[in-house]
Amino acid sequence: MNGKNNPKKSPIERRKFLQMLGTAAAGGSILLVAGGLASRINRAEAGLYWQIDPAKCTQCGRCETHCVLNVSAVKCIHANRVCGYCDLCGGYYRSNVKELNTAAENLLCPTGAIQRKFVEDPYFEYTIDESLCNGCAKCVKGCTSFGNGSLYLQIKRDLCLDCNECKIALVCPADAISRVPLDVAYKLKDE
Amino acid sequence: MKKILFTLTSLLLQLAAFAQNRFPKPDFESGYQYPDIQYAVPNESLWLVVDILLLVALMSFVSWAVIRKQTRKPIIWVSVISVAYFGFFRSGCVCSIGSIQNVALSLADSSYILPISVLLFFILPIAFAFLFGRVFCAGVCPFGALQELVNIKNYKLSKSLTSALSVIPWIYLIFAVLYAVTRSTFIICRFDPFIGIFRQGGDFGLIVFGVLLLITSIFTGRPFCRFLCPYGALLSLFSRVSIWKVKITKKQCINCELCHNACPVDAIKPPHENKVKENRLLGVKRLINYAVVLPVLVITGALLMRYASNDLSRAHKDVRLHDMVMLQEAAPQNSLSLELEAFYGQGRTVAELTEKVEKIQADYRLYSTIAGGFIGLVIGITLIGLSTKRTRKEYEIEHADCVACGKCFGYCPQNKLEIKTGTLTL
Repeated sequence: MNGKNNPKKSPIERRKFLQMLGTAAAGGSILLVAGGLASRINRAEAGLYWQIDPAKCTQCGRCETHCVLNVSAVKCIHANRVCGYCDLCGGYYRSNVKELNTAAENLLCPTGAIQRKFVEDPYFEYTIDESLCNGCAKCVKGCTSFGNGSLYLQIKRDLCLDCNECKIALVCPADAISRVPLDVAYKLKDE
Repeated sequence: MKKILFTLTSLLLQLAAFAQNRFPKPDFESGYQYPDIQYAVPNESLWLVVDILLLVALMSFVSWAVIRKQTRKPIIWVSVISVAYFGFFRSGCVCSIGSIQNVALSLADSSYILPISVLLFFILPIAFAFLFGRVFCAGVCPFGALQELVNIKNYKLSKSLTSALSVIPWIYLIFAVLYAVTRSTFIICRFDPFIGIFRQGGDFGLIVFGVLLLITSIFTGRPFCRFLCPYGALLSLFSRVSIWKVKITKKQCINCELCHNACPVDAIKPPHENKVKENRLLGVKRLINYAVVLPVLVITGALLMRYASNDLSRAHKDVRLHDMVMLQEAAPQNSLSLELEAFYGQGRTVAELTEKVEKIQADYRLYSTIAGGFIGLVIGITLIGLSTKRTRKEYEIEHADCVACGKCFGYCPQNKLEIKTGTLTL
């Protein structure tokens, strides 16, 4: 290019010209991409935080095993306003228990994370000790199949590491895990 | 069989609809109040602001140290801060390397919502690379910083091995973008070797891989940055043509080779003299060769990847589900896998899934063809780069490879010889 018109010029000049061309192209592409994407950004809708859709969840139990944390960030959450406060609770007792007492062999939760308190005849209040819950979904399955479905799994925002790609979402058979915007704190059942 | 499945599905559906109100709401007589439960929400917007501010501050600091001051000490401090904050404290998500995928997906699919923090994590290091070189790699990236901090010795790899391995980041980048734009999976996040170390847990195989990489980086500089990191490949494009460039010394090079030996990423190229000036006709012939070989490689790559697109599409969850459903429909089994249970339980139809999968496969055909073209291009350009030799009069930094770690400054004798000439006053 340059060499033909003035043959005395060294190839360094040509290299400099190419370099300038490259600089212009690089700068232009940065501005183009940044501008194009910035115009699309909608801060209110930006989905960053992984949450489970309780309506889709099939209680497969993978939340317990596939989270990157040693103890899953998925915990069981109890919607008191949905609960029937039953004595024979499908999420608390195993099926076919002989006596409704709190002996360990009768209880469904493998870590003893569900506690119950007598309210008045015949109602019992159930609470979940989150520090014991491992998100195995056994109680959720019981409650969904025999009860009102007041026990359900949800990703705890304070525990979740907000991975760019949720490892549980990758294996979730029901595609129940998706990102929600910042202002939607939790996908809850009793709201 | 289909009929049985259908009735089973409808039954399950009814159950699901029924599940909410099997037992009526209790009427409490004792004045029982529902407990008011608040679930913890960390102050996420604050942390995102801190992340971005720290990113900009650290990169500016490194730029100042490398371009203006030509010292390495601040970079070590930046590395320590980055490993501690971005690595261990923030557990490494979102990082700039992974943000490539979010940005690619958002460029390909406008319905994908890109959070502003991810966009900033993607574009800021590129903007800094365009201005000052790869200052992000120097110590702001926790991965680079971690490898830099453990690096002791600099055994040089042979030139052929280096050039063969440095194609990998590009291929990795191309595949990461391919799998991101088809909404299959984020392979950069999935096969991240260091995240397990930062989180002190996770996939065992990846932690072993990360530890092996770290052990390697004791003996040779930054194996991950040079031979794996797709974001480094992207940054090298911008740092090659950056406006301000790292200089080893402000004084004249004395061709002592010390900086070349010190460079952990082998970015300082020794002087080279092309003894025989190439015949003009030969040069033209070579140029024509390139002009033929490059398109041939691009087209071959594109065709090969198009041919493989159906197999590649198995990375998508729905395609795998479709395969499972087809197997089940052909030879019904009694014990269903969790995926199939969810599929039939949710009452999805095979026709709807097939339609979805066909769309995914069409996407794959298009994008894998483009990806294949790029793979051909990368291999072609690497080969052309190997076949040419530039004349250099002194030791020069290859700015595309330079990660601005600043090791060479301390080794250059020209930076050390500061003979102060003053007047002696009596």
